[in-house]
Amino acid sequence: MLSGISVFCFAASYAVALALEATRLWFRSGVRGALMLGFASAGLLAHTLFLVYRATTASGAPLSSAYDWYLLAAWVLVAIYLYLVYYHPQAAIGIFVLPLVLAMVGFAQLSDREPFPQDPAAQVWGTLHGIFLLFGYVAVVIGFIAGVMYLLQARRLKRKQLPPARLRLPSLEWLDGVNGRAIVLSAIFVAAGFVSGIILNAVNHRQQIDYVPWNDPIVWRLGGTMAWLVVAALFSQLYRPANHGRKVAYLTVASFVFLAFTAILRPFVASEHSARPDQAAQTPRAGEARKLGDEESRTSTSTVWSPSLPVSQSPSLLVLPASEVAA
Amino acid sequence: MKLQMVGCSHHNAPLEIRERLAFNTEQAAAALARWRAEFPRTEAVLLSTCNRVEVYTATESDKEGPTHHEVAEFLAECHGLELVSVFDDLFEQSGEGMVRHLFTVAASLDSMVVGEPQILAQVKQAYQLAQQHQSAGPLTHEMFQAALRVAKRVAHETAINERRVSIPSVAVGDFARVIFERFDDKRVLVIGAGEMAEETLRYLHDAGARHITVINRSHERALSIAGQYGGRAAAWEDLDRLLVAADLVVSTTGAPEPIVTLPRYRRIEADRFQRPIFILDLAVPRDFDPAIADCLGVYLYSVDDLATACERNRHERERELPKALRIVEEETQRFLAELHHRATGPIIQRLRQGWQSLRDQELRRLFNRLPELDEPSRAEIEQSFDRYVNKLLHPPLESLRDESRHGAPHGLLEALKRLFHLKD
Repeated sequence: MLSGISVFCFAASYAVALALEATRLWFRSGVRGALMLGFASAGLLAHTLFLVYRATTASGAPLSSAYDWYLLAAWVLVAIYLYLVYYHPQAAIGIFVLPLVLAMVGFAQLSDREPFPQDPAAQVWGTLHGIFLLFGYVAVVIGFIAGVMYLLQARRLKRKQLPPARLRLPSLEWLDGVNGRAIVLSAIFVAAGFVSGIILNAVNHRQQIDYVPWNDPIVWRLGGTMAWLVVAALFSQLYRPANHGRKVAYLTVASFVFLAFTAILRPFVASEHSARPDQAAQTPRAGEARKLGDEESRTSTSTVWSPSLPVSQSPSLLVLPASEVAA
Repeated sequence: MKLQMVGCSHHNAPLEIRERLAFNTEQAAAALARWRAEFPRTEAVLLSTCNRVEVYTATESDKEGPTHHEVAEFLAECHGLELVSVFDDLFEQSGEGMVRHLFTVAASLDSMVVGEPQILAQVKQAYQLAQQHQSAGPLTHEMFQAALRVAKRVAHETAINERRVSIPSVAVGDFARVIFERFDDKRVLVIGAGEMAEETLRYLHDAGARHITVINRSHERALSIAGQYGGRAAAWEDLDRLLVAADLVVSTTGAPEPIVTLPRYRRIEADRFQRPIFILDLAVPRDFDPAIADCLGVYLYSVDDLATACERNRHERERELPKALRIVEEETQRFLAELHHRATGPIIQRLRQGWQSLRDQELRRLFNRLPELDEPSRAEIEQSFDRYVNKLLHPPLESLRDESRHGAPHGLLEALKRLFHLKD
């Protein structure tokens, strides 16, 4: 039964929930809230079952490929959305959250579904690396959403405009609190993801398998993201005028823009991060480091994907298990 | 059935008349007891607010119940007034008009400030009081329950109650609540002790504000207002220090010049570290230099800003009025149809009983003539007879229901009585 659930099922549910949220702008309805919650919850249920099915059938899912990583990040975002709707039923939070959820599902569809090869010894660090980065990036997204809402709300209030009845937003104080927490949490999780990535790489380096050179653009990119987030978090915490208000909102929005910018650039930057043997063979440095012989052991386990991987792969670059190649 | 309302409201009676006819809770209770004694077969609910005094009455029979004159006399006598002094200010609504009027009142569409929420609670209290004093009955019960449902529907399906129209309510409900999530941990500073400050403070206190400081040139007046809301009074010299700590400021002094100029606020601003501050400058002339609104984290609103918002809200309410009236009309027709249909109940019951008795007689005769029938066959035949009776009853019942939508189906009921020999 689980195999019958497709990405379309939950993406369509989220799209309907978003459409219902959007109708707030035009008319009032007594049943819209319940319908919206119903569609979003049904979507989340289907999404959960889909991830469970992937985890039980695909090796190493739900964090082993770009596809699974994006779907899990979207799942976390929807869970947070439902939690927020429960506490702020009147606020049009879905208009801001659900497009990003759908964008993540869309990104997942464009991403590589093949699990990445990895040595079982590094599995724990790989898992931690993926999970920390997932939470860090979700925190950045939540901070961005809260930041945008804060700036909109503050702009209205500065212009002495009444909050429109059809597009209500949470209070500035609440949004400010979410912004502050999001910026700190994103810095902590991304830093933890970076450190666990370094340890993962060191373990792989010692065993001479699948390690990423320290000068790889992905390492620098993630390091840069972490540095930005840590500096932003410290700035917001230590510089008192940046404790509150628009400065924190700008910081969270800028963090998201930084992240989105590096994500967009990713396919254009050659990297050996989580590259597979055929890709690795294209670069002499990595080719030297990897053990290319043991194909079967590589495809039997999988690494944890992190967002520093290429968004899409051309079919010619995909690795197939040895048995399928033979067939 | 006779439904009637006699009373006065802000639409037709001046304040002096409304004041003379108004009832407090004790007076209303006494009046209802008196009503029961004078008109024991007539249900009554007495609604008395600042803007209206209305007696809603209902009887099952058209021929019973007090006349307009008798109700007017009753109202006058309750207050020891001459009937002539109030008679011309009392108006009457009856039947459908009375139901529509009650629904309109409960939904706050007939209020002085359309959409004000207090009236619903007042209607509810009036009905509860009538229930306690046993002057309410099944008809008034249905009417008032329906009125409460209509009010809720209007509130739910239109924005008529959402838009606030007084300056303090707009300031707190529409602006302060958008800035602050909660008020119990906010420091409220009240500068001056005018009437507007006091009213705003009441809204803030209701919203949960607890840390209230009042400063005023007259320390006694500051102490008096602070005392009412569990706050404290402070000296005028502490203004700068208090502004540094404040989250919300309400200013209503009569000073001819701004008491907080931009340079003065700049000095304070450094110590606030750009923490958000909501300033309600309700004074005319203004107490805060308007240029302060450009400072970071400052949300400064003057009386004019709030008055503009009030006007916009009033306009929004008016735009919602036709939709609300459509709901009232729809509910009035539905309620009357149900009420009329309910009145056909006894005739339907008698018709059903008559046919049921015929069915029983025929079945008995049939089973006596066919003693060899087993239990399943008997049950099958009984079911067939039941279906037959129900199918025969269906068209007259449908006709009664349809007719009820256009008023009490007296003609049809009379025809049924004569056709099927149904006796009262």
